[in-house]
Amino acid sequence: MSESVRTTRVPVVERVLEVNDQLAATTRADLERRGILAVDIIGAPGSGKTALLEATLRALKGRRHPAVLVGDLATRRDGDRLARWCDQVVQISTGQGCHLDAGQIRDALMQVDLSEVDLLLIENVGNLICPVGFDLGQAAKVGVFAVTDGDDKAAKHPYLVQAADVLLLNKIDLLPYVSFDGPLFQADVRLLNPTVPILEVSSTTGAGLDAWLDWLDRKSADGGASTPIA
Amino acid sequence: MHEFSIAEALAAQVLRHAPVGGRVREVEIRVGALRGLEPEAMKMSWDAVTHDTPLAGSVLRLDLRPWSLVCPACGRTWESPVPFETCRCGETSPRPTAGDELNLMSITVDEDETTAEEA
Ligand SMILES: Nc1nc2c(ncn2[C@@H]2O[C@H](COP(=O)(O)OP(=O)(O)OP(=O)(O)O)[C@@H](O)[C@H]2O)c(=O)[nH]1
Ligand SMILES: [Mg+2]
Ligand SMILES: [Zn+2]
Ligand SMILES: [Zn+2]
Repeated sequence: MSESVRTTRVPVVERVLEVNDQLAATTRADLERRGILAVDIIGAPGSGKTALLEATLRALKGRRHPAVLVGDLATRRDGDRLARWCDQVVQISTGQGCHLDAGQIRDALMQVDLSEVDLLLIENVGNLICPVGFDLGQAAKVGVFAVTDGDDKAAKHPYLVQAADVLLLNKIDLLPYVSFDGPLFQADVRLLNPTVPILEVSSTTGAGLDAWLDWLDRKSADGGASTPIA
Repeated sequence: MHEFSIAEALAAQVLRHAPVGGRVREVEIRVGALRGLEPEAMKMSWDAVTHDTPLAGSVLRLDLRPWSLVCPACGRTWESPVPFETCRCGETSPRPTAGDELNLMSITVDEDETTAEEA
């Protein structure tokens, strides 16, 4: 006699990415306990994330003990580039996935000897949108823009600009060859995020890298006070 | 297409919360403007992810929260689907703010009366 059907609306208020966020929180606690500063580097394909890491690893040689996790859709090329500068590099192949998630980070960390590590550099999949919303357990998010990608990219990617703890404007050595309105870029960033530092760098010439290395040192000294997205 | 991974997480979450024996008709999520979620991509992903599962045929409803804009010149505040907008007073740089919430809000289910009475 079950002809009649009753329709019920069940209220549930829970974050959709709750499972990811919990894994990330566990990672964040593990890394903080070990005194490891973890940074999630997010930027468009080709903006220079790997080049920045190469320059960073070269500069930190003998001074810090970094490990690198690098996400890529298909190849191992970035991992191979970085392995020349750091003996703890784990390449994470995401296949179709346009961003890293907290589970992939935990799996990758299983392959790292964390006992000596004091800095964890994570290169996310080249993408300005998708990675921003997935907490990895990082202490800080780093947004990378390149002058060759156009001065409107901050305005078009408000989530990254708002969520970033520091923004790098890369490839400034190419400014003479492209039209890039620096003041406009800065103004757009400031509207979305009044306080984020904007560091102008060239990963290939090394210009401006000292400010970035200082930022990393200061962030480490802070104990990498965490900024989970919320 | 982060919409696809969000749809996957959401489907697992709905299956955890839906009452046993009910058929899920509708799922409602609330999304802050910062997420930049594409409603069409989100709905397509939902259909693809739920196809051939107990959630097949359920409708995803999106409550997209807008940007809030505050004009530094005249003090007017208003809501908009986009972050950059010129104020009526001519000011070109109103300050945009938005949330990044991404929450499951409710699940609507059909239950047979007899089944429901047993519960
Ligand atoms: N002139 C110049 N070229 C740069 C700079 N940084 C990176 N490049 C070049 O830009 C290209 C892309 O750099 P990558 O470091 O591979 O960029 P990526 O962001 O890691 O790219 P994906 O991992 O594919 O998303 C390479 O040819 C780099 O040599 C820079 O500061 N100046
Ligand atoms: Mg790279
Ligand atoms: Zn995506
Ligand atoms: Zn106004």
